[in-house]
Amino acid sequence: MQGLSVFEKGLGYLSECISYYTGSCAYLVLYLVALIYICIYGSKREKEIFVPCSVFLILTVYNPVVPVILDHIFDVNSEYYRFFWITPVVILLPYTATVLIMGAKDIKQRTVLSVLILLICFCSGRFVYADGFKVAENIYKMPDELIEISNIIHLDCATEYPKVFLEYEYNMQMRQYDPKMLLTIDREDYLYAVSNPYTEEMLKDDDHPQYRLLAALTRNQHVEEEDFLEALEMSKTEYVVVNKSHPLINYLKIAGLKTVAKTGEHVIFKYNIKEPYEFELVDYSVVY
Amino acid sequence: MLTKIWVPLALGIVLLSSALNFREWIARKKVIITYIKEHKLSAFILVLLIGLYVISVSIFYNFTLDAAYYVANVATSVETDMMNVYDPFTGAWQDHYEMRYFFATYQMQDAVVCQFTGIPALIYTKTIMSITIIILTNMVYLLIAGELFKDSDKKEIKTVIMMAMIFVVNMTFITIYTSSLFLMTRTYEGKAIIGNLALVSLFYFFIRMNDDNLKLRPWIIIFILCFGSATISSSANMLIPVELTILFLPMIIGKKQWKSLPGYVLCVIPGLAFSLIYILYVKGYFVWYTFPK
Repeated sequence: MQGLSVFEKGLGYLSECISYYTGSCAYLVLYLVALIYICIYGSKREKEIFVPCSVFLILTVYNPVVPVILDHIFDVNSEYYRFFWITPVVILLPYTATVLIMGAKDIKQRTVLSVLILLICFCSGRFVYADGFKVAENIYKMPDELIEISNIIHLDCATEYPKVFLEYEYNMQMRQYDPKMLLTIDREDYLYAVSNPYTEEMLKDDDHPQYRLLAALTRNQHVEEEDFLEALEMSKTEYVVVNKSHPLINYLKIAGLKTVAKTGEHVIFKYNIKEPYEFELVDYSVVY
Repeated sequence: MLTKIWVPLALGIVLLSSALNFREWIARKKVIITYIKEHKLSAFILVLLIGLYVISVSIFYNFTLDAAYYVANVATSVETDMMNVYDPFTGAWQDHYEMRYFFATYQMQDAVVCQFTGIPALIYTKTIMSITIIILTNMVYLLIAGELFKDSDKKEIKTVIMMAMIFVVNMTFITIYTSSLFLMTRTYEGKAIIGNLALVSLFYFFIRMNDDNLKLRPWIIIFILCFGSATISSSANMLIPVELTILFLPMIIGKKQWKSLPGYVLCVIPGLAFSLIYILYVKGYFVWYTFPK
Protein backbone atom coordinates (compact mmCIF):
# COMPACT_ATOMS: atom_id res chain seq x y z
CA MET A 1 0.00 0.00 0.00
CA GLN A 2 1.58 3.15 -1.21
CA GLY A 3 2.19 5.72 1.50
CA LEU A 4 1.44 3.40 4.42
CA SER A 5 4.44 2.51 6.55
CA VAL A 6 4.65 -0.02 9.38
CA PHE A 7 7.60 1.90 10.80
CA GLU A 8 5.56 5.12 11.03
CA LYS A 9 2.23 3.64 12.06
CA GLY A 10 3.42 0.86 14.38
CA LEU A 11 0.48 -1.03 15.87
CA GLY A 12 -1.88 1.32 14.06
CA TYR A 13 -0.67 0.02 10.70
CA LEU A 14 -3.07 -2.92 10.64
CA SER A 15 -6.25 -0.92 11.14
CA GLU A 16 -5.22 1.57 8.44
CA CYS A 17 -4.25 -1.29 6.17
CA ILE A 18 -7.70 -2.88 6.64
CA SER A 19 -9.29 0.50 6.02
CA TYR A 20 -7.37 0.89 2.73
CA TYR A 21 -8.16 -2.71 1.80
CA THR A 22 -11.89 -2.57 2.33
CA GLY A 23 -12.40 1.02 1.19
CA SER A 24 -16.13 1.64 1.17
CA CYS A 25 -16.89 -2.11 1.17
CA ALA A 26 -18.32 -3.70 4.30
CA TYR A 27 -17.56 -7.28 3.33
CA LEU A 28 -15.22 -7.99 6.24
CA VAL A 29 -18.01 -6.93 8.61
CA LEU A 30 -20.43 -9.20 6.75
CA TYR A 31 -17.85 -11.97 7.03
CA LEU A 32 -17.83 -11.52 10.82
CA VAL A 33 -21.63 -11.58 10.89
CA ALA A 34 -21.66 -14.78 8.83
CA LEU A 35 -19.05 -16.28 11.12
CA ILE A 36 -21.11 -15.46 14.20
CA TYR A 37 -24.14 -17.06 12.51
CA ILE A 38 -22.13 -20.23 11.87
CA CYS A 39 -20.87 -20.20 15.48
CA ILE A 40 -24.43 -20.03 16.79
CA TYR A 41 -26.49 -21.99 14.29
CA GLY A 42 -23.93 -23.97 12.30
CA SER A 43 -23.53 -27.73 12.38
CA LYS A 44 -20.42 -29.35 13.86
CA ARG A 45 -19.00 -29.75 10.35
CA GLU A 46 -19.67 -26.12 9.40
CA LYS A 47 -17.97 -24.99 12.60
CA GLU A 48 -14.97 -27.22 11.91
CA ILE A 49 -14.60 -25.75 8.43
CA PHE A 50 -15.06 -22.04 9.11
CA VAL A 51 -14.42 -21.26 12.79
CA PRO A 52 -10.88 -22.51 13.62
CA CYS A 53 -9.33 -20.94 10.53
CA SER A 54 -11.04 -17.63 11.29
CA VAL A 55 -9.79 -17.70 14.88
CA PHE A 56 -6.25 -18.42 13.62
CA LEU A 57 -6.63 -15.56 11.13
CA ILE A 58 -7.59 -13.15 13.90
CA LEU A 59 -4.64 -14.33 15.98
CA THR A 60 -2.16 -13.99 13.13
CA VAL A 61 -3.03 -11.95 10.01
CA TYR A 62 -5.39 -9.60 11.89
CA ASN A 63 -3.07 -9.25 14.86
CA PRO A 64 -1.60 -5.69 14.92
CA VAL A 65 1.71 -7.01 16.28
CA VAL A 66 2.34 -9.32 13.31
CA PRO A 67 3.08 -6.68 10.61
CA VAL A 68 5.42 -4.95 13.05
CA ILE A 69 7.35 -8.18 13.60
CA LEU A 70 7.34 -9.12 9.92
CA ASP A 71 8.61 -5.69 8.96
CA HIS A 72 11.83 -6.46 10.83
CA ILE A 73 12.41 -9.45 8.55
CA PHE A 74 11.37 -7.98 5.20
CA ASP A 75 9.48 -5.02 3.80
CA VAL A 76 5.76 -5.73 4.15
CA ASN A 77 4.57 -2.12 3.81
CA SER A 78 3.13 -2.41 0.35
CA GLU A 79 2.11 -6.05 0.39
CA TYR A 80 0.67 -6.92 3.79
CA TYR A 81 -2.87 -6.46 2.46
CA ARG A 82 -2.47 -9.64 0.42
CA PHE A 83 -2.70 -11.67 3.62
CA PHE A 84 -6.34 -10.55 3.80
CA TRP A 85 -6.96 -12.59 0.64
CA ILE A 86 -6.71 -15.69 2.83
CA THR A 87 -9.96 -14.74 4.60
CA PRO A 88 -12.51 -16.96 2.82
CA VAL A 89 -15.00 -14.11 2.27
CA VAL A 90 -15.88 -15.39 -1.17
CA ILE A 91 -16.79 -18.81 0.29
CA LEU A 92 -18.33 -18.12 3.70
CA LEU A 93 -20.62 -15.24 2.71
CA PRO A 94 -22.21 -16.97 -0.30
CA TYR A 95 -22.49 -20.20 1.70
CA THR A 96 -24.23 -18.51 4.62
CA ALA A 97 -26.49 -16.57 2.26
CA THR A 98 -27.46 -19.82 0.54
CA VAL A 99 -28.16 -21.54 3.86
CA LEU A 100 -30.35 -18.60 4.94
CA ILE A 101 -32.25 -18.47 1.65
CA MET A 102 -32.86 -22.21 1.50
CA GLY A 103 -33.77 -22.28 5.17
CA ALA A 104 -36.76 -20.00 4.57
CA LYS A 105 -40.21 -21.54 4.82
CA ASP A 106 -41.65 -20.98 1.38
CA ILE A 107 -40.86 -19.52 -2.02
CA LYS A 108 -42.22 -16.10 -1.01
CA GLN A 109 -39.89 -15.83 1.97
CA ARG A 110 -37.00 -17.10 -0.10
CA THR A 111 -37.58 -14.44 -2.73
CA VAL A 112 -37.78 -11.67 -0.15
CA LEU A 113 -34.64 -12.95 1.59
CA SER A 114 -32.77 -13.26 -1.72
CA VAL A 115 -33.61 -9.68 -2.67
CA LEU A 116 -32.63 -8.49 0.81
CA ILE A 117 -29.27 -10.29 0.68
CA LEU A 118 -28.56 -8.95 -2.80
CA LEU A 119 -29.38 -5.44 -1.62
CA ILE A 120 -27.04 -5.86 1.36
CA CYS A 121 -24.30 -7.06 -1.00
CA PHE A 122 -24.76 -4.17 -3.42
CA CYS A 123 -24.92 -1.63 -0.60
CA SER A 124 -21.92 -3.17 1.20
CA GLY A 125 -19.74 -3.35 -1.85
CA ARG A 126 -18.65 -1.44 -4.89
CA PHE A 127 -19.45 -2.72 -8.37
CA VAL A 128 -16.43 -3.56 -10.46
CA TYR A 129 -17.63 -1.26 -13.23
CA ALA A 130 -18.91 1.50 -10.96
CA ASP A 131 -16.80 4.01 -12.87
CA GLY A 132 -18.16 2.79 -16.19
CA PHE A 133 -16.52 0.46 -18.64
CA LYS A 134 -14.89 0.74 -21.99
CA VAL A 135 -14.99 -2.00 -24.56
CA ALA A 136 -11.51 -2.72 -25.93
CA GLU A 137 -10.86 -1.11 -29.30
CA ASN A 138 -9.13 -4.16 -30.71
CA ILE A 139 -8.09 -7.72 -29.94
CA TYR A 140 -4.90 -6.48 -28.23
CA LYS A 141 -6.93 -4.38 -25.76
CA MET A 142 -4.70 -1.43 -26.60
CA PRO A 143 -5.75 1.95 -28.00
CA ASP A 144 -5.85 1.88 -31.82
CA GLU A 145 -3.78 5.02 -31.83
CA LEU A 146 -0.94 3.40 -29.90
CA ILE A 147 -0.74 0.70 -32.56
CA GLU A 148 -0.75 3.37 -35.26
CA ILE A 149 2.09 5.24 -33.52
CA SER A 150 4.10 2.04 -33.26
CA ASN A 151 3.67 1.36 -36.99
CA ILE A 152 4.60 4.92 -37.98
CA ILE A 153 7.77 4.93 -35.90
CA HIS A 154 8.94 1.56 -37.24
CA LEU A 155 8.31 2.69 -40.82
CA ASP A 156 10.26 5.88 -40.24
CA CYS A 157 13.12 4.47 -38.19
CA ALA A 158 16.21 3.01 -39.81
CA THR A 159 16.97 0.76 -36.85
CA GLU A 160 15.10 -2.27 -35.57
CA TYR A 161 14.82 -0.93 -32.02
CA PRO A 162 13.84 2.76 -31.95
CA LYS A 163 14.07 4.62 -28.65
CA VAL A 164 11.07 6.70 -27.74
CA PHE A 165 9.76 9.17 -25.19
CA LEU A 166 6.03 8.63 -24.67
CA GLU A 167 3.46 10.22 -22.44
CA TYR A 168 2.51 8.41 -19.24
CA GLU A 169 -0.28 6.05 -20.35
CA TYR A 170 1.25 5.04 -23.65
CA ASN A 171 4.62 4.65 -21.96
CA MET A 172 3.10 2.01 -19.68
CA GLN A 173 1.39 0.25 -22.56
CA MET A 174 3.69 0.42 -25.54
CA ARG A 175 6.05 -2.44 -24.70
CA GLN A 176 3.17 -4.78 -23.96
CA TYR A 177 2.22 -4.44 -27.60
CA ASP A 178 5.58 -3.71 -29.19
CA PRO A 179 8.68 -5.03 -27.37
CA LYS A 180 10.88 -3.72 -30.17
CA MET A 181 10.18 -0.22 -28.93
CA LEU A 182 12.78 0.92 -26.39
CA LEU A 183 11.56 3.47 -23.87
CA THR A 184 13.55 6.33 -22.39
CA ILE A 185 11.54 6.49 -19.19
CA ASP A 186 10.96 3.59 -16.82
CA ARG A 187 7.97 3.24 -14.55
CA GLU A 188 9.58 4.51 -11.34
CA ASP A 189 10.87 7.68 -13.04
CA TYR A 190 7.41 8.38 -14.37
CA LEU A 191 5.74 7.76 -11.03
CA TYR A 192 8.21 10.18 -9.46
CA ALA A 193 7.57 12.80 -12.13
CA VAL A 194 3.81 12.65 -11.73
CA SER A 195 3.93 14.03 -8.21
CA ASN A 196 7.36 15.57 -7.61
CA PRO A 197 9.18 18.57 -9.07
CA TYR A 198 12.78 18.30 -10.23
CA THR A 199 15.48 20.26 -8.41
CA GLU A 200 18.22 22.22 -10.17
CA GLU A 201 20.67 19.57 -9.06
CA MET A 202 18.59 16.84 -10.70
CA LEU A 203 18.31 18.83 -13.90
CA LYS A 204 22.09 19.02 -14.10
CA ASP A 205 22.54 15.29 -13.45
CA ASP A 206 24.22 13.89 -16.56
CA ASP A 207 23.82 10.34 -15.26
CA HIS A 208 20.06 10.77 -15.50
CA PRO A 209 19.34 12.91 -18.56
CA GLN A 210 15.75 11.61 -18.56
CA TYR A 211 15.07 13.93 -15.59
CA ARG A 212 15.30 16.92 -17.94
CA LEU A 213 12.89 15.34 -20.40
CA LEU A 214 10.40 14.57 -17.66
CA ALA A 215 10.78 18.00 -16.05
CA ALA A 216 10.04 19.73 -19.35
CA LEU A 217 7.42 17.43 -20.87
CA THR A 218 5.62 16.13 -17.79
CA ARG A 219 5.96 18.88 -15.20
CA ASN A 220 6.25 21.85 -17.58
CA GLN A 221 9.35 23.02 -15.71
CA HIS A 222 11.66 25.32 -17.59
CA VAL A 223 14.53 23.50 -19.28
CA GLU A 224 16.80 25.29 -21.75
CA GLU A 225 16.37 23.96 -25.29
CA GLU A 226 20.08 23.19 -25.44
CA ASP A 227 19.88 21.11 -22.26
CA PHE A 228 16.76 19.38 -23.52
CA LEU A 229 18.46 18.39 -26.80
CA GLU A 230 21.50 17.25 -24.87
CA ALA A 231 19.25 15.02 -22.78
CA LEU A 232 17.76 13.50 -25.93
CA GLU A 233 21.25 12.91 -27.28
CA MET A 234 22.59 11.41 -24.04
CA SER A 235 19.59 9.13 -23.60
CA LYS A 236 19.66 8.26 -27.34
CA THR A 237 16.00 9.21 -27.64
CA GLU A 238 15.07 9.47 -31.30
CA TYR A 239 11.31 10.00 -31.08
CA VAL A 240 9.12 12.11 -28.82
CA VAL A 241 5.39 11.50 -28.89
CA VAL A 242 3.15 14.05 -27.19
CA ASN A 243 -0.50 14.97 -27.18
CA LYS A 244 -1.58 17.54 -29.79
CA SER A 245 -2.68 19.83 -26.99
CA HIS A 246 0.66 19.62 -25.19
CA PRO A 247 1.83 23.13 -24.21
CA LEU A 248 5.38 22.47 -25.42
CA ILE A 249 4.60 21.63 -29.04
CA ASN A 250 6.19 24.88 -30.22
CA TYR A 251 9.11 24.41 -27.85
CA LEU A 252 9.87 21.07 -29.50
CA LYS A 253 9.62 22.59 -32.97
CA ILE A 254 11.86 25.52 -32.06
CA ALA A 255 14.33 23.08 -30.50
CA GLY A 256 14.66 21.54 -33.95
CA LEU A 257 12.62 18.35 -33.70
CA LYS A 258 10.94 17.35 -36.97
CA THR A 259 7.30 16.36 -37.15
CA VAL A 260 7.12 12.81 -38.47
CA ALA A 261 3.34 12.37 -38.38
CA LYS A 262 0.16 13.31 -36.62
CA THR A 263 -2.37 10.79 -35.45
CA GLY A 264 -5.83 11.41 -33.99
CA GLU A 265 -4.61 12.85 -30.69
CA HIS A 266 -0.82 12.81 -30.92
CA VAL A 267 2.16 14.30 -32.71
CA ILE A 268 5.27 12.23 -33.38
CA PHE A 269 8.50 14.23 -33.35
CA LYS A 270 11.91 13.02 -34.43
CA TYR A 271 15.28 14.09 -33.10
CA ASN A 272 18.26 13.40 -35.34
CA ILE A 273 20.81 11.82 -33.05
CA LYS A 274 24.32 13.13 -33.71
CA GLU A 275 26.00 9.92 -32.69
CA PRO A 276 23.61 7.14 -33.72
CA TYR A 277 23.91 3.79 -32.05
CA GLU A 278 22.42 0.45 -32.93
CA PHE A 279 20.80 -1.41 -30.05
CA GLU A 280 21.70 -5.08 -30.28
CA LEU A 281 20.66 -8.04 -28.18
CA VAL A 282 23.50 -9.48 -26.12
CA ASP A 283 25.07 -12.47 -27.80
CA TYR A 284 25.32 -14.96 -24.94
CA SER A 285 26.93 -17.59 -27.17
CA VAL A 286 30.13 -15.56 -26.75
CA VAL A 287 30.11 -15.74 -22.95
CA TYR A 288 28.68 -19.23 -22.48
CA MET B 1 15.72 -23.82 -26.29
CA LEU B 2 13.35 -23.80 -23.31
CA THR B 3 10.39 -23.96 -25.68
CA LYS B 4 11.89 -27.02 -27.39
CA ILE B 5 12.31 -28.74 -24.01
CA TRP B 6 9.08 -27.53 -22.46
CA VAL B 7 6.67 -28.40 -25.25
CA PRO B 8 7.56 -32.12 -25.56
CA LEU B 9 7.62 -32.36 -21.76
CA ALA B 10 4.17 -30.76 -21.44
CA LEU B 11 2.82 -32.93 -24.24
CA GLY B 12 4.32 -36.00 -22.53
CA ILE B 13 2.59 -35.14 -19.25
CA VAL B 14 -0.73 -34.59 -21.04
CA LEU B 15 -0.41 -37.93 -22.84
CA LEU B 16 0.59 -39.75 -19.65
CA SER B 17 -2.30 -38.16 -17.79
CA SER B 18 -4.66 -39.11 -20.62
CA ALA B 19 -3.48 -42.70 -20.54
CA LEU B 20 -3.76 -42.96 -16.75
CA ASN B 21 -7.04 -41.09 -16.32
CA PHE B 22 -8.88 -41.88 -19.54
CA ARG B 23 -11.47 -44.13 -17.89
CA GLU B 24 -12.01 -41.67 -15.06
CA TRP B 25 -12.55 -38.84 -17.55
CA ILE B 26 -15.08 -40.88 -19.50
CA ALA B 27 -16.92 -41.66 -16.26
CA ARG B 28 -16.90 -37.97 -15.27
CA LYS B 29 -18.12 -37.00 -18.73
CA LYS B 30 -21.12 -39.29 -18.27
CA VAL B 31 -21.83 -37.77 -14.86
CA ILE B 32 -21.71 -34.25 -16.33
CA ILE B 33 -23.99 -35.19 -19.24
CA THR B 34 -26.45 -36.80 -16.83
CA TYR B 35 -26.34 -33.70 -14.60
CA ILE B 36 -27.06 -31.41 -17.56
CA LYS B 37 -29.96 -33.62 -18.71
CA GLU B 38 -31.50 -33.82 -15.24
CA HIS B 39 -30.86 -30.22 -14.18
CA LYS B 40 -31.15 -28.19 -17.34
CA LEU B 41 -31.96 -24.90 -15.60
CA SER B 42 -29.15 -25.24 -13.04
CA ALA B 43 -26.66 -26.09 -15.78
CA PHE B 44 -27.86 -23.15 -17.85
CA ILE B 45 -27.46 -20.71 -14.92
CA LEU B 46 -23.95 -22.02 -14.17
CA VAL B 47 -22.90 -21.63 -17.81
CA LEU B 48 -24.48 -18.17 -17.87
CA LEU B 49 -22.59 -17.07 -14.75
CA ILE B 50 -19.26 -18.30 -16.07
CA GLY B 51 -20.09 -16.71 -19.43
CA LEU B 52 -20.60 -13.35 -17.71
CA TYR B 53 -17.22 -13.69 -15.99
CA VAL B 54 -15.63 -14.57 -19.33
CA ILE B 55 -17.21 -11.57 -21.09
CA SER B 56 -16.09 -9.35 -18.25
CA VAL B 57 -12.42 -10.36 -18.44
CA SER B 58 -12.20 -10.65 -22.19
CA ILE B 59 -13.81 -7.65 -23.84
CA PHE B 60 -13.25 -4.68 -21.57
CA TYR B 61 -10.34 -2.29 -21.70
CA ASN B 62 -8.56 -1.40 -18.49
CA PHE B 63 -5.35 0.37 -17.78
CA THR B 64 -3.15 -0.97 -14.99
CA LEU B 65 0.41 -0.09 -14.14
CA ASP B 66 1.39 -3.67 -13.30
CA ALA B 67 0.74 -4.80 -16.87
CA ALA B 68 3.67 -2.57 -17.83
CA TYR B 69 5.83 -5.14 -16.10
CA TYR B 70 4.02 -8.47 -16.36
CA VAL B 71 2.65 -8.40 -19.90
CA ALA B 72 5.66 -6.49 -21.23
CA ASN B 73 7.89 -9.13 -19.64
CA VAL B 74 6.17 -11.84 -21.67
CA ALA B 75 6.46 -9.78 -24.86
CA THR B 76 10.09 -8.91 -24.11
CA SER B 77 11.03 -12.52 -23.37
CA VAL B 78 9.51 -13.68 -26.65
CA GLU B 79 11.18 -10.87 -28.60
CA THR B 80 14.65 -11.37 -27.08
CA ASP B 81 14.38 -15.15 -26.70
CA MET B 82 15.70 -14.72 -23.16
CA MET B 83 14.21 -14.90 -19.69
CA ASN B 84 14.27 -11.87 -17.38
CA VAL B 85 17.45 -10.51 -18.98
CA TYR B 86 15.93 -7.32 -20.41
CA ASP B 87 14.00 -4.73 -18.41
CA PRO B 88 10.33 -5.02 -19.43
CA PHE B 89 9.72 -1.32 -18.68
CA THR B 90 12.33 0.07 -21.05
CA GLY B 91 13.89 -2.83 -22.95
CA ALA B 92 17.32 -2.09 -21.47
CA TRP B 93 19.71 -4.94 -20.75
CA GLN B 94 20.02 -5.93 -17.06
CA ASP B 95 23.28 -7.22 -15.66
CA HIS B 96 21.60 -9.21 -12.89
CA TYR B 97 18.36 -11.05 -12.27
CA GLU B 98 15.76 -9.39 -10.08
CA MET B 99 15.12 -12.13 -7.52
CA ARG B 100 11.66 -10.85 -6.71
CA TYR B 101 10.55 -12.15 -10.07
CA PHE B 102 13.13 -14.89 -10.63
CA PHE B 103 11.09 -17.76 -9.20
CA ALA B 104 7.77 -16.28 -10.27
CA THR B 105 7.75 -18.05 -13.58
CA TYR B 106 4.17 -17.51 -14.69
CA GLN B 107 5.25 -14.88 -17.21
CA MET B 108 7.95 -17.20 -18.54
CA GLN B 109 5.41 -19.97 -18.99
CA ASP B 110 3.23 -17.52 -20.91
CA ALA B 111 6.25 -16.52 -23.00
CA VAL B 112 7.03 -20.13 -23.86
CA VAL B 113 3.48 -20.74 -25.08
CA CYS B 114 3.49 -17.45 -27.01
CA GLN B 115 6.75 -18.39 -28.70
CA PHE B 116 5.55 -21.90 -29.51
CA THR B 117 2.14 -20.87 -30.83
CA GLY B 118 3.00 -17.45 -32.26
CA ILE B 119 0.12 -15.89 -30.31
CA PRO B 120 0.93 -12.25 -29.35
CA ALA B 121 1.63 -11.75 -25.65
CA LEU B 122 -1.27 -9.35 -25.16
CA ILE B 123 -3.84 -11.73 -26.60
CA TYR B 124 -2.47 -14.71 -24.73
CA THR B 125 -2.12 -13.05 -21.31
CA LYS B 126 -5.09 -10.68 -21.29
CA THR B 127 -7.63 -12.85 -23.04
CA ILE B 128 -6.73 -16.53 -23.36
CA MET B 129 -5.16 -17.04 -19.92
CA SER B 130 -7.65 -14.68 -18.26
CA ILE B 131 -10.52 -16.80 -19.54
CA THR B 132 -8.70 -20.00 -18.58
CA ILE B 133 -8.12 -18.81 -15.02
CA ILE B 134 -11.71 -17.61 -14.68
CA ILE B 135 -13.06 -20.99 -15.78
CA LEU B 136 -10.67 -22.94 -13.53
CA THR B 137 -11.49 -20.74 -10.54
CA ASN B 138 -15.19 -21.26 -11.09
CA MET B 139 -14.66 -25.00 -11.36
CA VAL B 140 -13.07 -24.92 -7.91
CA TYR B 141 -15.93 -22.78 -6.55
CA LEU B 142 -18.27 -25.42 -7.94
CA LEU B 143 -16.32 -28.21 -6.26
CA ILE B 144 -16.40 -26.32 -2.96
CA ALA B 145 -20.14 -25.70 -3.21
CA GLY B 146 -20.61 -29.39 -4.04
CA GLU B 147 -18.60 -30.40 -0.97
CA LEU B 148 -20.32 -27.96 1.37
CA PHE B 149 -23.77 -29.13 0.33
CA LYS B 150 -22.91 -32.75 -0.36
CA ASP B 151 -25.19 -34.26 2.26
CA SER B 152 -28.05 -31.81 2.03
CA ASP B 153 -31.28 -32.02 0.09
CA LYS B 154 -31.78 -29.79 -2.97
CA LYS B 155 -28.02 -29.87 -3.43
CA GLU B 156 -28.21 -28.67 -7.05
CA ILE B 157 -30.32 -25.61 -6.25
CA LYS B 158 -28.11 -24.69 -3.29
CA THR B 159 -25.00 -25.05 -5.42
CA VAL B 160 -26.40 -22.72 -8.07
CA ILE B 161 -27.47 -20.13 -5.48
CA MET B 162 -24.03 -20.25 -3.89
CA MET B 163 -22.33 -19.85 -7.29
CA ALA B 164 -24.59 -16.86 -8.03
CA MET B 165 -23.72 -15.32 -4.66
CA ILE B 166 -20.01 -15.88 -5.29
CA PHE B 167 -20.49 -14.06 -8.58
CA VAL B 168 -22.15 -11.14 -6.78
CA VAL B 169 -19.36 -10.97 -4.19
CA ASN B 170 -16.65 -11.05 -6.86
CA MET B 171 -18.41 -8.31 -8.80
CA THR B 172 -18.91 -6.05 -5.80
CA PHE B 173 -16.06 -6.67 -3.35
CA ILE B 174 -13.95 -4.19 -5.25
CA THR B 175 -11.18 -1.91 -4.07
CA ILE B 176 -7.78 -1.75 -5.76
CA TYR B 177 -6.51 -4.31 -3.25
CA THR B 178 -9.06 -7.12 -3.14
CA SER B 179 -8.52 -10.53 -4.73
CA SER B 180 -11.87 -10.11 -6.50
CA LEU B 181 -10.52 -7.08 -8.32
CA PHE B 182 -7.47 -9.05 -9.36
CA LEU B 183 -9.73 -11.83 -10.60
CA MET B 184 -11.94 -9.49 -12.61
CA THR B 185 -9.39 -7.08 -14.04
CA ARG B 186 -5.83 -8.31 -13.54
CA THR B 187 -6.09 -12.00 -14.27
CA TYR B 188 -2.87 -11.87 -16.34
CA GLU B 189 -0.86 -11.56 -13.11
CA GLY B 190 0.46 -14.54 -11.21
CA LYS B 191 -0.78 -13.09 -7.93
CA ALA B 192 -4.34 -13.07 -9.27
CA ILE B 193 -3.99 -16.83 -9.74
CA ILE B 194 -2.60 -17.23 -6.23
CA GLY B 195 -5.18 -14.94 -4.60
CA ASN B 196 -8.07 -16.73 -6.25
CA LEU B 197 -7.37 -20.11 -7.80
CA ALA B 198 -4.60 -21.35 -5.48
CA LEU B 199 -6.01 -20.14 -2.16
CA VAL B 200 -9.50 -21.38 -3.03
CA SER B 201 -8.13 -24.75 -4.20
CA LEU B 202 -6.31 -25.12 -0.91
CA PHE B 203 -9.57 -24.41 0.89
CA TYR B 204 -11.25 -27.13 -1.17
CA PHE B 205 -8.61 -29.69 -0.21
CA PHE B 206 -8.92 -28.57 3.39
CA ILE B 207 -12.67 -29.34 3.33
CA ARG B 208 -11.95 -32.75 1.81
CA MET B 209 -9.27 -33.55 4.40
CA ASN B 210 -11.44 -32.27 7.22
CA ASP B 211 -14.14 -34.70 6.08
CA ASP B 212 -11.44 -37.34 5.76
CA ASN B 213 -12.53 -38.19 2.22
CA LEU B 214 -9.31 -37.27 0.44
CA LYS B 215 -7.74 -40.65 0.85
CA LEU B 216 -5.35 -40.94 -2.07
CA ARG B 217 -2.01 -39.32 -1.18
CA PRO B 218 -3.64 -36.09 0.10
CA TRP B 219 -0.45 -34.36 1.17
CA ILE B 220 1.22 -35.08 -2.17
CA ILE B 221 -1.67 -33.39 -3.97
CA ILE B 222 -1.42 -30.42 -1.60
CA PHE B 223 2.37 -30.33 -1.95
CA ILE B 224 2.04 -30.13 -5.75
CA LEU B 225 -0.44 -27.28 -5.34
CA CYS B 226 1.85 -25.42 -2.91
CA PHE B 227 5.03 -25.98 -4.93
CA GLY B 228 3.23 -25.03 -8.15
CA SER B 229 1.94 -21.85 -6.52
CA ALA B 230 5.42 -20.89 -5.36
CA THR B 231 6.62 -21.04 -8.96
CA ILE B 232 3.79 -18.87 -10.26
CA SER B 233 4.11 -15.75 -8.14
CA SER B 234 6.29 -14.64 -5.25
CA SER B 235 3.11 -13.64 -3.41
CA ALA B 236 2.54 -17.37 -2.94
CA ASN B 237 5.66 -17.57 -0.78
CA MET B 238 3.95 -15.62 1.97
CA LEU B 239 0.32 -16.50 1.35
CA ILE B 240 0.46 -20.27 0.92
CA PRO B 241 2.41 -21.09 4.12
CA VAL B 242 0.06 -18.83 6.11
CA GLU B 243 -3.06 -20.33 4.55
CA LEU B 244 -1.72 -23.83 5.17
CA THR B 245 -1.11 -22.92 8.79
CA ILE B 246 -4.46 -21.32 9.49
CA LEU B 247 -6.38 -24.11 7.77
CA PHE B 248 -4.51 -27.31 8.51
CA LEU B 249 -2.79 -26.69 11.84
CA PRO B 250 -6.08 -26.27 13.78
CA MET B 251 -7.39 -29.37 12.01
CA ILE B 252 -4.31 -31.41 12.90
CA ILE B 253 -4.41 -30.25 16.52
CA GLY B 254 -8.20 -30.53 16.86
CA LYS B 255 -8.38 -34.02 15.39
CA LYS B 256 -5.05 -35.09 16.84
CA GLN B 257 -3.85 -36.12 13.40
CA TRP B 258 -0.20 -35.97 14.36
CA LYS B 259 0.74 -38.17 11.40
CA SER B 260 -0.26 -35.28 9.15
CA LEU B 261 2.35 -32.93 10.65
CA PRO B 262 5.21 -34.01 8.32
CA GLY B 263 2.90 -33.47 5.33
CA TYR B 264 2.06 -29.99 6.52
CA VAL B 265 5.73 -29.15 7.09
CA LEU B 266 6.62 -30.51 3.63
CA CYS B 267 4.00 -28.26 2.00
CA VAL B 268 5.20 -25.16 3.85
CA ILE B 269 8.83 -25.69 2.79
CA PRO B 270 8.72 -24.44 -0.86
CA GLY B 271 7.24 -21.07 0.08
CA LEU B 272 9.57 -20.61 3.03
CA ALA B 273 12.61 -21.65 0.99
CA PHE B 274 11.85 -19.15 -1.78
CA SER B 275 11.13 -16.47 0.84
CA LEU B 276 14.49 -17.16 2.51
CA ILE B 277 16.32 -16.89 -0.82
CA TYR B 278 14.58 -13.58 -1.50
CA ILE B 279 15.42 -12.22 1.96
CA LEU B 280 19.07 -13.17 1.49
CA TYR B 281 19.05 -11.37 -1.87
CA VAL B 282 17.41 -8.25 -0.41
CA LYS B 283 19.93 -8.24 2.46
CA GLY B 284 22.72 -8.31 -0.13
CA TYR B 285 24.10 -11.78 0.51
CA PHE B 286 24.16 -12.73 -3.17
CA VAL B 287 23.46 -11.51 -6.69
CA TRP B 288 22.88 -13.65 -9.75
CA TYR B 289 24.32 -12.00 -12.81
CA THR B 290 22.97 -12.53 -16.29
CA PHE B 291 26.50 -13.32 -17.48
CA PRO B 292 29.53 -15.08 -15.95
CA LYS B 293 31.58 -12.80 -13.73
